[in-house]
Amino acid sequence: MLDGLFTFFASHHAIRADKTLRDAGMESALIAGPKELSPNCGTAVRFDFRERDRALALLATKHVEVDAVHPYTPRTDDWRERRPAWRRTRSR
Amino acid sequence: MAGPIYFDQAATSWPKPDSVRRAVEEYFDGAGGNPGRSGHRMSIAAARLVEAARDALAELFAVPDPGRIAFTKNATEALNVAIYGLLSPGDHAVTTSSEHNSVMRPLRHLEAAGLALTVVPCRPDGTLDAEAVFEAIRPETRLITTVHGSNVTGALTPIERIAAEARRRGIPYLVDAAQTAGAIPIDLTALGIDLLAFTGHKALLGLTGTGGLVVAPGVDLPPLLRGGTGSRSDSEHQPDFMPDVYESGTLNVAGLAGLGAGVRHLLGVGINQVAAHEQTLVDRFRTGAAAIPMVRLFGPERPADRCGVVSFNVGSLSSSEVGTLLDRDFDILSRVGLHCAPGAHRTIGTFPGGTVRFGFGLTNTIGEVDAALRALAEIASWAATREPADA
Repeated sequence: MLDGLFTFFASHHAIRADKTLRDAGMESALIAGPKELSPNCGTAVRFDFRERDRALALLATKHVEVDAVHPYTPRTDDWRERRPAWRRTRSR
Repeated sequence: MAGPIYFDQAATSWPKPDSVRRAVEEYFDGAGGNPGRSGHRMSIAAARLVEAARDALAELFAVPDPGRIAFTKNATEALNVAIYGLLSPGDHAVTTSSEHNSVMRPLRHLEAAGLALTVVPCRPDGTLDAEAVFEAIRPETRLITTVHGSNVTGALTPIERIAAEARRRGIPYLVDAAQTAGAIPIDLTALGIDLLAFTGHKALLGLTGTGGLVVAPGVDLPPLLRGGTGSRSDSEHQPDFMPDVYESGTLNVAGLAGLGAGVRHLLGVGINQVAAHEQTLVDRFRTGAAAIPMVRLFGPERPADRCGVVSFNVGSLSSSEVGTLLDRDFDILSRVGLHCAPGAHRTIGTFPGGTVRFGFGLTNTIGEVDAALRALAEIASWAATREPADA
């Protein structure tokens, strides 16, 4: 469950954090940094909040600097139930 | 498969014309050398590509001598050359509240070292009163610098009026044309601007890593970097002539080959046609968005006051929430947040949450604008169900 969020001061760290977590077999997703949390985070990383200690330890070994750790589930996750008929299909 | 609807042209243009891609290949296949250095045929071929890009830009900006255009790696570098070259502690500079950090951070850095800085506030719609700039001028003012088109609101600065007044008073005027070069006509011969900074990868349709500074004759501006130029190699002192004085180190030749092709593409279409197309898209978007409940538009109402950039928010959704939905569920790419211009957002009242920004370009269509309006109507109706009760 992607209910945690790492924010960063630079996308350099966000991109490397995502790769580090994935390489370790952990769930991770890069998203646009939620502006309701911080104006700093251009790119943020969603992760499983229960795994935060392990994730933070792992990121520290890779010299990835985290700005903040948040319990966070975007409100936009609710949108997935809506599928307007005219919507363009996509294969992601 | 259709690509996404790309409304982030204000960040960088996409897709580039095929001729741009071919020009980059031409560098690798038919040129390949280091321009101005070695003198063999591959070096000369590379130099020809660089000069062709300079010629195309000179034609676009109506610069009689292409040698007045110096290439840099981006608009930021060009702006830094001008700002650090012209200003010293004790001087005074005038700028506006709509500036990008590429102007504001160098100025704030110099301010900390003793520069006196006046930041003229723009109106809540992002437009600038030229008279307010004139009132800020002091005897020790050594630079006036303004953005041409705001990267947040799209508001256009009255650069003609400011240029005329700056010239009358003998104060150098630097224009940041990052958003407007290649998007609307800029006639430097008619305008009489001392310094114009541009980026190659936005409306000029070139590659990232390219930009430049147009320096009018008579402007006394030392370079920011010094080094090898391929010229005056007998001397250990920097040449003082254009464009070499500002072009130390090997240029991004592949990128400039692409930039030249991008500008040629624009000249073929016609810059007036490009501007009219972007105006059509912005007008259609603004008219449609104004009719959607909960969508709040920012920027000037009058078409003559704006370029192809528009900012908005939807209800109490954050700009990143709207951007995420547009990207993930509608294939529409925007830029959210503060757009590296915190002062511009304070001016329009959207600091620190920022806005969703659409930047339109030559390749965008009315059909894409209409698709975005449908998407926003859908997002707005969803947002309405999640508004706080007291909102």
